[in-house]
Amino acid sequence: MLSSLVQKFIDQSPLSSNNDHRPSKAALFRDQFRLPAGQHPLHEITAELFLPLPSSAAAGPLTSGEKSRDSGNRYVGDLHLSEHFLCFSTIRTSFLPGASHTASIAFTGPTQGAGPGGNGFTLPLCSIRRVERLNSHHDKFSLALTTFESLQKALTDKTKASLPFPRKLVLTLDGSRLACERFCDGLKRGLREGMKEVDSLRTVVSQCFSEYLLDPARLKAREEGTKPPDPPDTGLGILFRYPGDARKLRDKSKIRLWGEYMRENGRNATIVRQPTFHKLIRVGLPNRLRGEIWEICSGSFYTRLRNPNLYEKTLAKFTGQESLAIDEIEKDLNRSLPEYPGFQSEEGIGRLRRVLTAYSWTNEEVGYCQAMNIVVAALLIYMSESQAFFTLGALCDRLLPGYYSKDMYGTLLDQRVFENLVERTMPVLWEHLVKSDVNLSVVSLPWFLSLYINSMPLVFAFRVLDVFFLEGPKVLFQVGLAILRINGEELLDVHDDGSFISVLKNYFSRLDESAHPHSENEKLRAITKFQELMVTAFKEFAGITHASIEELRAKHIDNVKAGLATFAKRTSIRNLGPESKKLSADDLSAIYDRFFSVLAERQKRAKLREEERRRQEQQKTRPGLWTHHSDRNHDEPARNIAPLQTMDYDAFREFLANTAKWALTDSPTSVSKDLSKPVTSQRNRSHTLLQWGSGPQPADHDFMQRLYGKWDESHQGEMTLQQLVRGLARIKGTTDIMNSMSLFFELFDDDNTGKVDREGILRMSESLLFLSRRGFDGTITPSDFGNGMISPVSAADAKDGLQMSTNEKFLGSVSAFIRRCFEYADPDEVVESTSSKLQAATINEPAEEEDLLDLTETKSVSKQPASPKPAEHDPLSEVTPPGTAVKPTPILEGSRRSSSRAASHNLALDPSKPLHITLPTFRMVILADELLEQFFESFFPQSFHLSDSPNSSTVSLPSSTLSGNLTTFSNLGTPVKNLINGASNKTVIDVGRAGGVVEPGSRGLRGVLDNIVNDGMRMAAEMRKRMEETQREFERNAREQGHSRPYRDEEDDDDDDDDEKGAELGRRDQELLEGAEVASIKTEGSRSRAVSSATTETGTGPKKGEGGGGGGRDLG
Amino acid sequence: MADQSSAPKPSSSVKLVLLGEAAVGKSSLVLRFVNNDFQENKEPTIGAAFLTQKISLPSRIIKFEIWDTAGQERFASLAPMYYRNAQAALVVYDLTKPTSLIKARHWVAELQRQASPGIVIALVGNKLDLCAESSGDNDSAADSPADAEEGGAEPGEAEPTDNGDARKISTREAKSYAEEEGLLFFETSAKTGTNVADVFSAIANAIPETSLKGSRGAAGGGTQAALSGAANRADEARVNLADRAKQKSDNCAC
Ligand SMILES: Nc1nc2c(ncn2[C@@H]2O[C@H](COP(=O)(O)OP(=O)(O)OP(=O)(O)O)[C@@H](O)[C@H]2O)c(=O)[nH]1
Ligand SMILES: [Mg+2]
Repeated sequence: MLSSLVQKFIDQSPLSSNNDHRPSKAALFRDQFRLPAGQHPLHEITAELFLPLPSSAAAGPLTSGEKSRDSGNRYVGDLHLSEHFLCFSTIRTSFLPGASHTASIAFTGPTQGAGPGGNGFTLPLCSIRRVERLNSHHDKFSLALTTFESLQKALTDKTKASLPFPRKLVLTLDGSRLACERFCDGLKRGLREGMKEVDSLRTVVSQCFSEYLLDPARLKAREEGTKPPDPPDTGLGILFRYPGDARKLRDKSKIRLWGEYMRENGRNATIVRQPTFHKLIRVGLPNRLRGEIWEICSGSFYTRLRNPNLYEKTLAKFTGQESLAIDEIEKDLNRSLPEYPGFQSEEGIGRLRRVLTAYSWTNEEVGYCQAMNIVVAALLIYMSESQAFFTLGALCDRLLPGYYSKDMYGTLLDQRVFENLVERTMPVLWEHLVKSDVNLSVVSLPWFLSLYINSMPLVFAFRVLDVFFLEGPKVLFQVGLAILRINGEELLDVHDDGSFISVLKNYFSRLDESAHPHSENEKLRAITKFQELMVTAFKEFAGITHASIEELRAKHIDNVKAGLATFAKRTSIRNLGPESKKLSADDLSAIYDRFFSVLAERQKRAKLREEERRRQEQQKTRPGLWTHHSDRNHDEPARNIAPLQTMDYDAFREFLANTAKWALTDSPTSVSKDLSKPVTSQRNRSHTLLQWGSGPQPADHDFMQRLYGKWDESHQGEMTLQQLVRGLARIKGTTDIMNSMSLFFELFDDDNTGKVDREGILRMSESLLFLSRRGFDGTITPSDFGNGMISPVSAADAKDGLQMSTNEKFLGSVSAFIRRCFEYADPDEVVESTSSKLQAATINEPAEEEDLLDLTETKSVSKQPASPKPAEHDPLSEVTPPGTAVKPTPILEGSRRSSSRAASHNLALDPSKPLHITLPTFRMVILADELLEQFFESFFPQSFHLSDSPNSSTVSLPSSTLSGNLTTFSNLGTPVKNLINGASNKTVIDVGRAGGVVEPGSRGLRGVLDNIVNDGMRMAAEMRKRMEETQREFERNAREQGHSRPYRDEEDDDDDDDDEKGAELGRRDQELLEGAEVASIKTEGSRSRAVSSATTETGTGPKKGEGGGGGGRDLG
Repeated sequence: MADQSSAPKPSSSVKLVLLGEAAVGKSSLVLRFVNNDFQENKEPTIGAAFLTQKISLPSRIIKFEIWDTAGQERFASLAPMYYRNAQAALVVYDLTKPTSLIKARHWVAELQRQASPGIVIALVGNKLDLCAESSGDNDSAADSPADAEEGGAEPGEAEPTDNGDARKISTREAKSYAEEEGLLFFETSAKTGTNVADVFSAIANAIPETSLKGSRGAAGGGTQAALSGAANRADEARVNLADRAKQKSDNCAC
């Protein structure tokens, strides 16, 4: 018991199964016995199966097997117990965990999950009605099993005189006493569980034709000429005739033989496979039993048993919903076996539609693939809808893995395998094909994909299917090889695809003809080409086993998948739309890889989390050992989830974190902000780690949200690769500052009016600080940087000094930005200013400068005089970039006369006077500042690192810049280096407390930087706060003073800050809210050494620095 | 159309591939061209189908070896197998389905990048019969009786109209796209047969004479010689482009 539990964990652990392509033991076990999901090899033991001959019937020539003295058949094999099944097979199989893990051969024997070959049974535990311990041999465990139908027969058949003795299966276990006892214990427990499923069994079994065939009531009714019970649904064939001539197919005698076989050996759920079983299948199944035997051989019967109403439930659940798959299905409904009368009627079309649709919902990864329509149409001739639905599941999941999936890798893989087999078994023919440039898969692909159904006449294709469901995919290969072998001579004379195809077409059309029409021997003459084909396939190619197919598949799969991936990538990139052409092929390739790797990683992590959650849930609700692996999560077959194709915001953040270093979070160890996944406290940590995996943790900032909002054009939270590429191409595709500025501006123009309001201006400045907080990678250099270089200190110091000044200056630039924005903003109500539009910018007018200072003073509530520094450095007066004034754009929209400007500035903070800036204004303000100009010219577009990244899974920081450029923000080197080294978990933490772990040498610098950034952030936050205060103040006053005075005097505005206390309470709340926002972009609040007074200053960055007395500051 | 005039004209094979979204009527076009037949419910093509048909030009006989491919998106990864070495391609869309033209553009792009250089591509809007030409202006039906003059000049004189009942893609839109990309352009109906033969003869004419010179002598079993000739020509071009250079250069004439 314990060992099996261990095994279960091994099976479930993602590590064991996903590391290589080899399936887990449990999977092989399930394949071997065609068991549904959720079954595990709990116990196994060598055993002897003894089938006493029924007392009534003499052992006919049909039932062979090793006759024994007790008149019955004996088989030695392995007996397996899973949660819901007892399985026996004479094919030696072992799935015990004790066996070697390394080579799959070692623990599966040669079968590799080949399917129910050999003799034996797969008994659902619920079908076992009684187990008796026989004491005949005292030192052996002998169990006699009585199954469902025997008892039923005994009950209903009371009237009959010659009551056949209930069939018993006698199992003699061969193992140590302990092993036997353990097995029996497990069996006992399983039987108890099985009791719960008897109702399901009854339902499912009642839909089986065998039940009807053997129903005594039916036989009696026939004898007495009364009305027999209704037969179960055996497919469209019963309504529209089964294909082929029933007489010629000897359908009646086949039914009779099956009837006899099942009377002795059980039916549907309880059937025991003896050699006759295999023979009866080889000669072709009778029409009305065909569906049922397919169902049992493929194992879809057992899946249906586990969840009898899944089909109906699925249909009901998704009624009325639409999908791409449904569109595709509709296209093909009239194109599925159109010659069969059943599919010329609404009845047949309706069944086909429902089965395909229901399946497309349960398996998103497959959805609908052309050829499925043909296969399902064929199934529906012999099966009910529900049976066909489950059998399609068995095909897609087990028998034809990957054939119909979105990339059809299984189809391609098996073509490769087939070619390989042809090469091995028919080297001459193969050589000829290669020489003649005939592409084999052109011919063989449809054989496999539609199971020969539209290659051969239907009757023959169904014969192939009969064997295929029993023996598995190898049959497709064997038949294919036999076709080529039989036609080999002719094919050697053929030199092109066309004639190749026509030889085979011709062959298929004559399958019913004699294989030896000219033979003297009548018997030989009677052999049809089809019979010859079957004999060749299964005799001559008997060496093609499941194991050999698996081996070849394993050999080729990597190649095939890689080829498909390349193809998909190439196609996808080619179809990304015209804008993608702006990016280099390398960039596109990098985006593609990163896009899908982020999505795949996320999906994988989500799955792990889900599994973890389920496991915990189970442990909570069912602590018992046995019930632990109970069915709950297996009732509904796990829906195959299609790989993600679009990014939600979180995925986008993750993408950005791999693309731009400003997108890395500053507080990675904090509790996950992801609201959609509330975490329980105890699992907090691992969840947080799982949330982003081992990759860099992304920040969450207003700017990123805006970026996402802009790029995700559908606004459904589903950003496609194309949208992402378009967004990136716009930023990186044209290195044009104008473009870059308008893109930035548009991010804040929420309602596309071409205006950004007061709030937006502050958001802009916050974003500028957010983007710049990790430095500029040398993309921004103040024009006076030479001074820093010649200062008589060490190189490092010089660098530091330079750093500081760059960043400080940038901070100054941002604060100046805010100021200027407000200054040049237009009032929202532009009633009278219509005349003054399009007036050329007068930016060199000295009056403006005064205005600036004016503004500072009015705005800045601190009574400090503004430092002259910013004015001196003010590019407006000194370093106005050439071209700014020359630009033909209407730079200063609605510009005012300088006299009126002062007044309007005072309104800048007055929320009752809404204002906005336009793109031209924004541009002007940016171009007025050297650093901001550089910011948009180089930093902003360059901060998105695409193909040049040394390692796409880490922060992309061009190493050349990092090492070679003195002006680089080298203090970031430490955490980044860690990232690149892949010390994942540690790194995450490092980044989190960046300041705490950097090397001593850079500490001072970092502190200063942090201060600057914090100051900037705080400044922006403070601005916002103040604005809101003003607003509140204004409202309060409005309230206090009744409705008579909605506006206050400007002088009152000046007093706002003195008034602060009054507003304290409301402000606290507000701060709290804002705090949450600001905290996410702060580097590290606690270490900020900024003087508190700085927070009340606006627009005097450098000045403030002096007040703070930060050690390393070196103001030029 | 497949008659062979009494004088033994030179005959050459042309490998032609049909591409396009599912159910636009690729197989129906081929069936119309090859058997002059139409089936209301044609089974979807699984993988690909192969047919041949001959067409007689004044100077020679062209034998089309037609690869009709499956249209569903997921079969796209198989397509290279079929358009490999193709000298001509029919990219088909459904005049009543806008998405099908998008898919067609994708195919054109793929062919231009991945197929043999110099491949002749025709863009074909099918199901013209569903686009009523009710109003008197002989628009869609009259467009493009490709006279297929020399050198594969753009055939088709499609007037831009939009008055078809089910029509969703205007002639103008598709035509201007075709012109941009240098494609032959037709609107056809496999159901009525409108323009179907014209597509193929226009293609036959558009195949550069040079790429036909390795053609087989009149009749007989030279199929393979012709084929290998074609393959070799394609090869030369491909080698020039340093594209998939390792393709079949060992065609022997055994
Ligand atoms: N009205 C009309 N229907 C057509 C025409 N051509 C094809 N169809 C119909 O469209 C459907 C699809 O035709 P097919 O020729 O099988 O399409 P296909 O492009 O080969 O489809 P796949 O093999 O799935 O890629 C069939 O039902 C045809 O009868 C046409 O010119 N007019
Ligand atoms: Mg087709």
